[in-house]
Amino acid sequence: MCKFAKFLLKLLAVGLVLNVGLFCVFFFDLDGKLLFNVVEPFLKKHYDDMERKDTLQAPYDMNKYPKYEYDT
Amino acid sequence: MRDLKHLIYFENLLQEANNDLVKQAKADGKRAIGYTCFFMPEVLLDLPGCFSVRLRAPRCTSPDIATYYMSSRVCHYARSLMERALEGGFNFLDAQMATETCTATCRFQEHLQQKHLDSVKDMRIIDNDDFYCEFIDVPFKKTKISYEHYAEQLRVHVLGTLHEHFGIDVSDEAVLQAIEQQNEVSRLINEIGEYRKLDNPTITGYEFHVIQLVSLVCPKYLILPYLRETAEEMKTREPDLKKEFRCKVVLAGSENDDPDFTKLIESCGARVVCDRYCYGAVESRRIIEVKEGEDPVMAIARHYLDASNCPRFMPQDEMRARKKHLAELCKEYKADGLIVASNKFCEYWSYERVIDTVIMRRDFGIPVCSIEKEYINSASGQLRTRFQAFIESVEIKQIQEGK
Amino acid sequence: MAKKDIKKALKDFWFGKPHTAEEGGRRLGEILEDKTGLYKHREWRGVKDTMYYFYMIWLYNYIMMVKDLMVMGGVVNFAKGVWRYRWVGQTYLPVLHWFDRGLQGLRGEALKGSAWHYRAMVSSTIRQFQRMFASDTRLHGGKQNELYKHNIAHNETVWGGVFYPWDGVIQNVPLEMIPYFVTCHVNSHTVLNYIDAVQSIGLPGDPCPMCQAEAGIFVLDDVPDYAPAVITCNEACDASVSTSTLQDWFLDKPLFSLPMPMIFDDPLVKKYCMREIEELWKFIEEQYGIPFSWEKLVHKLEQQNELQRFEWEKWEVAAKTSSYPINGVAQALYRIYQTQYGDWEIWHKVDGKVRKIMEKCVTKKINTFPQTRHRVIAWSCAPLYYSNWCTWAYNCWGLNVVINMDSLMFDMTLRTDSYEHTLEDMAQYHMWAPMRRMAVGGMKHMFELWEYMEKFNCDMVAMYDQLQCKGVQGLHGLFEDEFRDRNVPAFWIPHALPDSRTVSRAEIRRQINDYMTTVMHEEPLDPSLLDFDDSMTW
Repeated sequence: MCKFAKFLLKLLAVGLVLNVGLFCVFFFDLDGKLLFNVVEPFLKKHYDDMERKDTLQAPYDMNKYPKYEYDT
Repeated sequence: MRDLKHLIYFENLLQEANNDLVKQAKADGKRAIGYTCFFMPEVLLDLPGCFSVRLRAPRCTSPDIATYYMSSRVCHYARSLMERALEGGFNFLDAQMATETCTATCRFQEHLQQKHLDSVKDMRIIDNDDFYCEFIDVPFKKTKISYEHYAEQLRVHVLGTLHEHFGIDVSDEAVLQAIEQQNEVSRLINEIGEYRKLDNPTITGYEFHVIQLVSLVCPKYLILPYLRETAEEMKTREPDLKKEFRCKVVLAGSENDDPDFTKLIESCGARVVCDRYCYGAVESRRIIEVKEGEDPVMAIARHYLDASNCPRFMPQDEMRARKKHLAELCKEYKADGLIVASNKFCEYWSYERVIDTVIMRRDFGIPVCSIEKEYINSASGQLRTRFQAFIESVEIKQIQEGK
Repeated sequence: MAKKDIKKALKDFWFGKPHTAEEGGRRLGEILEDKTGLYKHREWRGVKDTMYYFYMIWLYNYIMMVKDLMVMGGVVNFAKGVWRYRWVGQTYLPVLHWFDRGLQGLRGEALKGSAWHYRAMVSSTIRQFQRMFASDTRLHGGKQNELYKHNIAHNETVWGGVFYPWDGVIQNVPLEMIPYFVTCHVNSHTVLNYIDAVQSIGLPGDPCPMCQAEAGIFVLDDVPDYAPAVITCNEACDASVSTSTLQDWFLDKPLFSLPMPMIFDDPLVKKYCMREIEELWKFIEEQYGIPFSWEKLVHKLEQQNELQRFEWEKWEVAAKTSSYPINGVAQALYRIYQTQYGDWEIWHKVDGKVRKIMEKCVTKKINTFPQTRHRVIAWSCAPLYYSNWCTWAYNCWGLNVVINMDSLMFDMTLRTDSYEHTLEDMAQYHMWAPMRRMAVGGMKHMFELWEYMEKFNCDMVAMYDQLQCKGVQGLHGLFEDEFRDRNVPAFWIPHALPDSRTVSRAEIRRQINDYMTTVMHEEPLDPSLLDFDDSMTW
């Protein structure tokens, strides 16, 4: 068997395994389960713990902005 | 203080929309024109031959049929008006001049309108063959194009239809005459209101609230003699020797045509010295100025947009300036605190109240009491507790500041 | 195993199980995990459709998402954004589950056509948040880069078309479309943080929850800083106006208000609106120093008109045949997305694909929703956290939502033959902003329902009942009266737009179930879907 054919076979085999593997992930909703049970709780915790500025302290200057009015 | 001569009469006039003076004006052959919002200029509804009535639904505690039509999740004020209309309480109206300035009252007024469509039935809530309901569009800004648009809306939808339906004289002369009449009312109300600025005011917030309301719900030409007399009476009215209040407050917020709400605040120890809310005098009783050679309708359009500090205005400079204006009112009326009250389900004031509560205290040092209320305040016990606590906190602040 | 059973198993394997209980049904409710709504296994739709779903929907979209991320702003910006902003990290990673929920039970061309709509929405979402992250001063050490200087932020309900004159020079990116609106559809949990945040500063719980959420993302400091100026508007209600006040406070940058007049039937109002749009253009020129381009405006409007013309073709098929290959949720969301944002390349690409699918369906007279018992029109605003209720309703009861109010909002093309005509039509389009065309401008527009019901050949109404929408609540009784007087079968779907805590998905299903059994006296097609617990699902 020539090298190219072997390579093709290997490629096919890898492709097949990859396809079967991905199909299992798809069919058994492993992506959803990972995201729901691991990724989202981790990120939620991160966002909950994040330091946030107190937006109520934001300045509110009464005269800062002009009246936007134009000739039309 | 000595009782005001006409106070009980005024109170009686507020018991129902179709009051004695409204009946008298109708008997005089004048057309009754209803409206709900400041942005429907009352002055144009007070042209010779007609008179304005700002709608209220006093003593409406259980708007059951209106709740079927508008659900329980819509402002109690709009539902109460609807209920009163369904009960026949507004059948004296010849027209309703409507604005789409807040959703709930807009829907109420749309129910009144005869649409003559196949797609939705007309309810004929107002049992009056002459009745019609007309809407105007009110701009959200105070710019040149807004004034022009608003003036055009008033010309076409208000003056145009009044003339068409009832033959009302809508000439410039007639409009100027109505402005003059309204300005006289405003001058009298302002004169009476000035006494609230005294260190020891010679008028209570409740009394003023009643007087202001009668000027909105009665034909001007019939209420004017009483207002003149009251203004005269005020000149010699002596304050109580001992102050009957512990602090002065500005009352700001959404629709409020319930003098008992003001009375409730005052019964807790505060004196309401300024009324910056819908139906209040701060905006509605400003003098309308017509410049030399100016079209009076344009002057009215400019006046009503400029005078208002409604949270409906959304340009950036306006949104910010109205907080400053509120602080200036507190200063002008020497108020110790501010009560911001919004009606439940009023979206404009729900937000404005949040911002006012933070900004007025933080940036202007004004103590703020933030209240959500119903149109008719049955939960007065809870409100009383809130007001008492607020008044105490203002007193403590004053003591700490050595006042 | 009996020969008959083997034959059936093989048939089920090859074609997928049949829909109805009588035929031995697929029982879609049984593949769901309790509470989470995750799948014990994804649905087996027969060899052909399962493979299509696996390769052309699941795998294809994962790959295309990665490609989009890389092309539109890069993976690094994306990673930074995910780490900084809750709405992207918590929401958009499980996006394929959003596909699953919307496409559940679909077969053949309906599956394909609907899925392409989802693809377009995902791509445009990525494009928007990646543009935000690439320009965000917070992710770039406080620096205002070139992208920042060429972005304009705007309220999500400002029609993107008003920015066409600066196409390719200034990029408009809505402030809340991606951080709030789309999140509710994909992962309904995220938005609750924002609603709670704005209530925590004193806002009562009764204003429109959409506006609450739009303000809440600012309260929680979760909005990227990606543009030097902002355009806001009053769409669609009083709470929108007020939300602008809070947003202005927290944004603290030049803000132009583009009001939408309320009474849009009045020709005088249209004139006013035209002038407001012109003022907006002057504001942009002043802020960015980049002149208005009439040529760009015309070009983009013509492109947009092309999208509208295809939409009309779709409506024609939906109204007159049973071969329309788009399901209720895909129709509604794609249309809102497309019309609101305005012309974009991805819409044209996807429309091209959908056209082929639709032509095939029509030519071959394929019945795309063969178990249809009722043709339903959905009216008013839909629950964002359960926009896929119509997928469930078809699977469970054979209720085929053919069209909805949101789709019908922008029923117009825009003239480009003169400046005056163009501006006039733009004003009209602008005034018909989402949730507004039928909701504002006079109650008669809400009652255009009957006209569209007839046009789309519908025999039932799904009436959305947004509990905190004052405009629609204010008409509740009249609708009840009209339904009764006209003898129109109609069920109400109570909800609170993004807030799934007010009326749960299960409660919505229960209301429909009750209506179908007690009023319509019908049996479910798939009884396994009658009652299940998805309280924790995205």
